[in-house]
Amino acid sequence: MPGRYTGYRRLRDDKRSRPAAPGSNSISTDQPLNLLLRDLLSHSALSEDDRQAVRDLPTRLRKLDPGSYLIREGDVPTHCSVLVSGFAIRLKVTGEGSRQIMAVCIPGDAIDFQNLFLGISDHAIQILTRSVIADIPREQLQKLLVNRPAISAAVIHSTLIEASILREWVVNVGRRDARSRIAHVLCEFAVRLEARGLAPHGGFELPMTQEQLGDATGLTPIHVNRVLRGLQADGLINRQRRNIQFADWRALQETADFTRRYLHLPGEDEILLAAS
Amino acid sequence: MSEVHFLEPLARRWAKRTALSAEDRAAIYALPVTRKSFGKDAYMVREGQQTTECSLLLRGFAYRQKLLSDGDRQIISIHIPSEFIDLQNGILGTADHNVQSLNHSEIAAVPRSALMELADKRPALRMAMWIDTLVDSSIFREWVVNVGRRDSRTRIAHLLCELALRLERTGQGRDGIFDFPLTQEQLADATGLTAVHTNRTLQSLRRDNLIQLSNGILRVLDWEKLREVGDFDELYLHQQI
Repeated sequence: MPGRYTGYRRLRDDKRSRPAAPGSNSISTDQPLNLLLRDLLSHSALSEDDRQAVRDLPTRLRKLDPGSYLIREGDVPTHCSVLVSGFAIRLKVTGEGSRQIMAVCIPGDAIDFQNLFLGISDHAIQILTRSVIADIPREQLQKLLVNRPAISAAVIHSTLIEASILREWVVNVGRRDARSRIAHVLCEFAVRLEARGLAPHGGFELPMTQEQLGDATGLTPIHVNRVLRGLQADGLINRQRRNIQFADWRALQETADFTRRYLHLPGEDEILLAAS
Repeated sequence: MSEVHFLEPLARRWAKRTALSAEDRAAIYALPVTRKSFGKDAYMVREGQQTTECSLLLRGFAYRQKLLSDGDRQIISIHIPSEFIDLQNGILGTADHNVQSLNHSEIAAVPRSALMELADKRPALRMAMWIDTLVDSSIFREWVVNVGRRDSRTRIAHLLCELALRLERTGQGRDGIFDFPLTQEQLADATGLTAVHTNRTLQSLRRDNLIQLSNGILRVLDWEKLREVGDFDELYLHQQI
């Protein structure tokens, strides 16, 4: 079927021509926690001493393939994982076997800070694109958070923003129509990437299949496909395979009922994307 | 006989999360709070507002909601006494949603600075606060699943299970009988359904002898069955902590 996404299998089979994932140029195995630190610094002031303490956390790097599970629901993790490069999703499966994606993790996201204190993972985390993960031993991180209140506050800040995004997703799936839901996911993803310095000019590679987009919005893949075609036909986006360009960013935001407040980004409401 | 401090329910709930010392409890009771009352449906926090305090619910229910540009409303969570309704405002400066009083309610408003000082000085309380916000997040994740992938009967049953269990675990209601002041419209806004659909679903749950719901009282008649219908697994409430 022309124009249809073929899922992560494509990425696995087609390493040769796959465009670099956003952020891949900032992967440094010397400094795997650089993007995490960037995220913390985007909302919290940390002394040079604190910054160095974050950089000095012991990490073990792992490469994970698309489709693999980092954590399953009910697991008791022994370490905290940070996404160094690539994308991952948080998901749950209902009793009837339907999947719901609750969040998309981008490079620099701490994937399971919540498990530091909650113990049992209440959802699964699955890798979307080839990813590098930095595992931090739980006790080391706990010690850091107890000894350094500024880092602790910064980490809590990040988890609170994540909670705000979850609230917005309840609204998105609960009360918006299909077109707004999809547009909203696209807007949010672009703005989050940009805030982390990962957005290429005016567009991005969507790391999700249409089926996964459906699982993130409570829609069927057919419905998602129809909506994407509609957004393109109306001149809001240009889409080539998974590459999405924003042809009319303002109209897309309006369709999505998207405002940035819930992302709690520093600075004023309109930044770079307004220029596109 | 000493009188129970009005912040005792909070101390009791936090003590289940992490071990609290006598000093921790004393620090909670010494918080400089202002008690405020709200009528039914009154706004406690408005989206966009700069926030300077966090509110602990002492009496009555409250709910967080967001309004869409077309006026539709989605309820994002429902809160019961002994819970904070906006703990995130200790750190986040701007409210990203509205909070409304569900029935007649009373809160203890704590200045943000006092709460953050408490967190700085008392690691156990910082931990308890953090766990509160993390459990909030876990509940939000479950709500995304609920509105995203469950049918209407399952959604409503799930919400009833969640509230009944939260009330029971905080010592509010027993023998399957709970205060339940939500209107059908509010239930609909919490589950992404229409009021008509919600009404029909509640009737079917009643007909199957799973629940009775009248005059603001919920009676759970068959917990196991309601749980099954609601696809309810309490893991996400992290009560084991």
